[in-house]
Amino acid sequence: MTHLRRYGTLIGFVGILLFFWWELPDTFLTQGNLLNISRQVSMLAVVAFVMTVVMAMGDFDLSVGSMASLAGVVAGVSFAAGYPIWVGVGAALLAGLAGGLFNGFLVSVLRILPFVATLGTLTVFSGLAFLASDGRTISGANIPDAFSQFARLRVEMLGLPMPSLTLLAIAVLVMVWVVLEQTPYGRRLYAIGGNMEAARLAGTRIVKLRLTAFAFTGVGAAIAGLMYASRVASANPTQGDGLMLDAIAAVFLGMTMSDEGEPRVLGTLVGVLILAVLDNGLSQMSVDSYVREILIGGIILMAVASGSLGGLRRR
Amino acid sequence: MAAFSVRAMQIELSNLSKSYGTAPVLRDVKLTLQGGQVHALMGENGAGKSTLIRVLAGVTPADSIDLTIDGRAVNLRSAADAADLGLRFVHQELNIVPQLTVAENIGLSRPTPTRLGLIDWGKLNTRATAALARFGATHIDPRAQAGSLGTGDRILIVLAGLLADETPARVLVMDEPTAALTHAEADRLFAVIAELKAQGAAVLYVSHRMEEVMQIADRVTVLRDGLVAMTTPTGTTTKEAVIHAMTGRTLTHVYPPRRGTIHSGNVLEVDELSAGPLHGISFSLRHGETLGIAGLENAGQSALLQAILGAVPRRGAVRLAGNLAPASPASAWAAGMAYVPRERRREGLMLGRGITPNITLPHLAAHAWHGIFSSAKAERDTATRLGAQVALKYDRVDQNVATLSGGNQQKIVFARAIASDPRLVLLDEPTRGVDVGARADIYALIAGLGAKGAGVLMTSSDLPELIGLCDRIAVLRDGTIGCIIPTDDLTPARLLSLIYGDTTIKDAS
Amino acid sequence: MTIRPILGALAIGLLATAATAQQRVAVITPYLAQPGTQFYIDGFEAAASPDWDINVIDTAGDIAAVISRIEDAVTQNVDAIVINVDPAQVSAGLQTAMEAGIPVVGMDAGMSDMLATNVTSNGYAMAAETSVYVANRLAGAGNVVMFVFDPFPPVQIRGAIADAVFANHPDINVIARVTPDVQDGGIADSRAQMEALLAANPEPGSINAVWAAWDQPALGALQAIEDAGRADEGIVIVGMDANPQAREAIAAGGNFEASMAQDFAGIGAAAADAVARLLAGETIAQPVIYVPTVLITTANVDE
Repeated sequence: MTHLRRYGTLIGFVGILLFFWWELPDTFLTQGNLLNISRQVSMLAVVAFVMTVVMAMGDFDLSVGSMASLAGVVAGVSFAAGYPIWVGVGAALLAGLAGGLFNGFLVSVLRILPFVATLGTLTVFSGLAFLASDGRTISGANIPDAFSQFARLRVEMLGLPMPSLTLLAIAVLVMVWVVLEQTPYGRRLYAIGGNMEAARLAGTRIVKLRLTAFAFTGVGAAIAGLMYASRVASANPTQGDGLMLDAIAAVFLGMTMSDEGEPRVLGTLVGVLILAVLDNGLSQMSVDSYVREILIGGIILMAVASGSLGGLRRR
Repeated sequence: MAAFSVRAMQIELSNLSKSYGTAPVLRDVKLTLQGGQVHALMGENGAGKSTLIRVLAGVTPADSIDLTIDGRAVNLRSAADAADLGLRFVHQELNIVPQLTVAENIGLSRPTPTRLGLIDWGKLNTRATAALARFGATHIDPRAQAGSLGTGDRILIVLAGLLADETPARVLVMDEPTAALTHAEADRLFAVIAELKAQGAAVLYVSHRMEEVMQIADRVTVLRDGLVAMTTPTGTTTKEAVIHAMTGRTLTHVYPPRRGTIHSGNVLEVDELSAGPLHGISFSLRHGETLGIAGLENAGQSALLQAILGAVPRRGAVRLAGNLAPASPASAWAAGMAYVPRERRREGLMLGRGITPNITLPHLAAHAWHGIFSSAKAERDTATRLGAQVALKYDRVDQNVATLSGGNQQKIVFARAIASDPRLVLLDEPTRGVDVGARADIYALIAGLGAKGAGVLMTSSDLPELIGLCDRIAVLRDGTIGCIIPTDDLTPARLLSLIYGDTTIKDAS
Repeated sequence: MTIRPILGALAIGLLATAATAQQRVAVITPYLAQPGTQFYIDGFEAAASPDWDINVIDTAGDIAAVISRIEDAVTQNVDAIVINVDPAQVSAGLQTAMEAGIPVVGMDAGMSDMLATNVTSNGYAMAAETSVYVANRLAGAGNVVMFVFDPFPPVQIRGAIADAVFANHPDINVIARVTPDVQDGGIADSRAQMEALLAANPEPGSINAVWAAWDQPALGALQAIEDAGRADEGIVIVGMDANPQAREAIAAGGNFEASMAQDFAGIGAAAADAVARLLAGETIAQPVIYVPTVLITTANVDE
């Protein structure tokens, strides 16, 4: 039972892969399609990876989607004003850092519940994005070619034409994995998630850790926003908004696979891949988009429910 | 209208026994409650008072119990039975919903009066006013939000709710009702109790406070190690006799002899410390010395340890080995302090996590390469080594700590504290909820700390334990240190009378 | 535990793949939930060949997902793709389709050399029609207020054409060329701007017409004129797009006299026709196919 609880999601993922392989023998498990999937999901993946950082502390960041939008708009506005690419990208990353630190300040210093604090900043960031862009989509000649070409770039690696966005997502994955799993910093974040008061009394600097973790997530969201803007060669004040819910869903899917139900970034990776594979496979099978949404929601509930059922039985 | 319907009734409780496993908690206890009388129940922590109350409330089934009301045998097998028999309880944790009004809280256990499907506020408030008036608590506005009231008034709300019940109340059991009350509030409560008594209530009053027991109780029963050590009218006994009955037990634990020597230098100097309920605290602790902190329940023992750790805001100077200690737990641990909190599950452990992270929590940087990259192996090795050192019983080192016994959980918190060879160890109720076997291990660990030259500052409500482990004991009274006394030749009874701060009590031993 | 949804997906998959050996067309839009989009789709499906297996995919506003779904359609090697989103934003996907030799038809999408063709209404012609309507109503002489929005290219076209038409009438005087704030669609700010213009030109007959590049400013101007009590001066108002509010105003027979209706279903049908031609092996020479638009006045507003 415990094994089913822990590996259920992974088994389900493999099942989904086999199912699409069976249904789409010529087009699904091909190098081209798999690389496509990796690129399609790269932005969501980055947001989900950095979401794992705050969720390790038992916190949430609901503002990642609007931060991604804001970062894209900040870059777009800088480009439109004639600044070079590095300035636009730097400004977007700074916006992510500032927004993340602000979230962290609200949560750790002012001790506002993360749900409430980041719900507030979600709206603030979104408003800023609308303000900066005048509510318009910045596209066409305003976006430098080199910036939008980045998303289409492929780098020959291990004999594979790896999409640049995929490589970027892998880089973020490795970084988050090292930080969360291999450093005292990350282990302390998990300690906060395990019992914040115990961690504090045992000498963990709660305020500093929460502040920086939210900043980390803000910068990650900004990176995802830039990836998105590059992929669509444009910036619009709402384009990243949809990333937040999918990212939380991916982390939850991943949490069903860890020992104690804590978020692990490799679990998040599987969660992200489940979402991406379902999107890709079902769309290839011409399944109605709305049915797809119902299926994805159902699978999330199923996975999480199987986890808590396992928990119930142990009780 | 009187809240109590039965006058001069007699409730006899006898043959009450209860064991947990092989450990007897109550042994053949007999207790007689009389309508119109206040009966005090006293005893040290672990004497069996809480178990007795839980049995009466029908929450804990007794192994054997005979209960008669006016000579007629009745059953007490469930909380519903207790309610039907007219037993009412005011627990230490008051069942108050702070967001609701006083009237709603009083009417909580009964159907809310409605008109056209909406709450009939008029009727609800009238009922509440009547319920409060029954014992003269007319100063409380039934429309006020319960959360806005002080603890004293909250108790009265609970009382009003209990007595407004449909079935008539016979017995009122109050568990330490004055623990969090001011003097004025306590006096008001005593007036209410006197009024209820006049109406024919039988009150079972549990308290640690000698003064008030002598003041309001007609009879007193003392429990010791699950046995009735004394039961007598308060008029025919003395405080000394009661204290003797409470503490005169045979020692159930053998405390390890002190090893090593107390060095001359001070490991801790506290100067004019104020924090929370505490003020003007000054003392010093030498290397290798163990200092106990005693006091009534909630006299500020925990606050003192947390203030020294820097976990609560404080004023005044705390010096660790001569250097001013910054007021933050992180700096305190880094400077060589270690801390074992009182509430193990809430403040100590990451329940749901494995043994290793729970032990290495404050020492992660020490187990990382250049403090940057953690080594899972180094952490596991430390956990294994310390687990052996504290005689931890476990299956796997990645075992979830929630699956361990209370004693083993406490050993994990101890292992965490001793992992970095601390200079000063703060122990808050180190044997709270710990079984007898693990206690001995923990006593040995505490003695070992002193032997290694660490200073130990510990609290305990188990007085023989405090005397057995400590070199000196500081008694907290009224938010400050009343006296500091060496433990040579100190008896529990003498300590208890110091805790009560009653200089009129002579050494009962 | 996760086996059940797979079975569900299996059932759906069987249904979906039951029709094989047909020509497959993927219609991808981020805007299906918006009211106008459904007209395109309905028109497209009505005019489509019964032999096509049409898959309508909505990405719920997510533009990047449109690229992803174009890539998926290319992986599936569909026969044609139809999009209604700015091609500049999804050029990454269009490039993939082009490399795979799969034709992409734009359905009111915008011009792009990566589209086989784009089916849309002629903005130039629409603007010409309403501005000429104004010029004719004024008999070639009078003062005109223009509401324009040059930052958005499709609307900028309309303004440029109206400029030309009015410039061609020496006695028509454009007294203001207003760019309203469009945060709320443009009604409120247009109304405020018009109120200021009316105050600045208090003489009856000092403003003869309002030409708006879309309906909202026209509606705002109408409100300002009516509230100022100057509805009986015969100020002619024209808008564009013929949205329901504008149709109502036209039907009421007041100052709002005309607007241009695009034929959304017709655009859908023409897109289906373009797909059919492409599937038949034809090359479409025109990068843009225009579908006729209709001037809406009191005469035909009820149709």
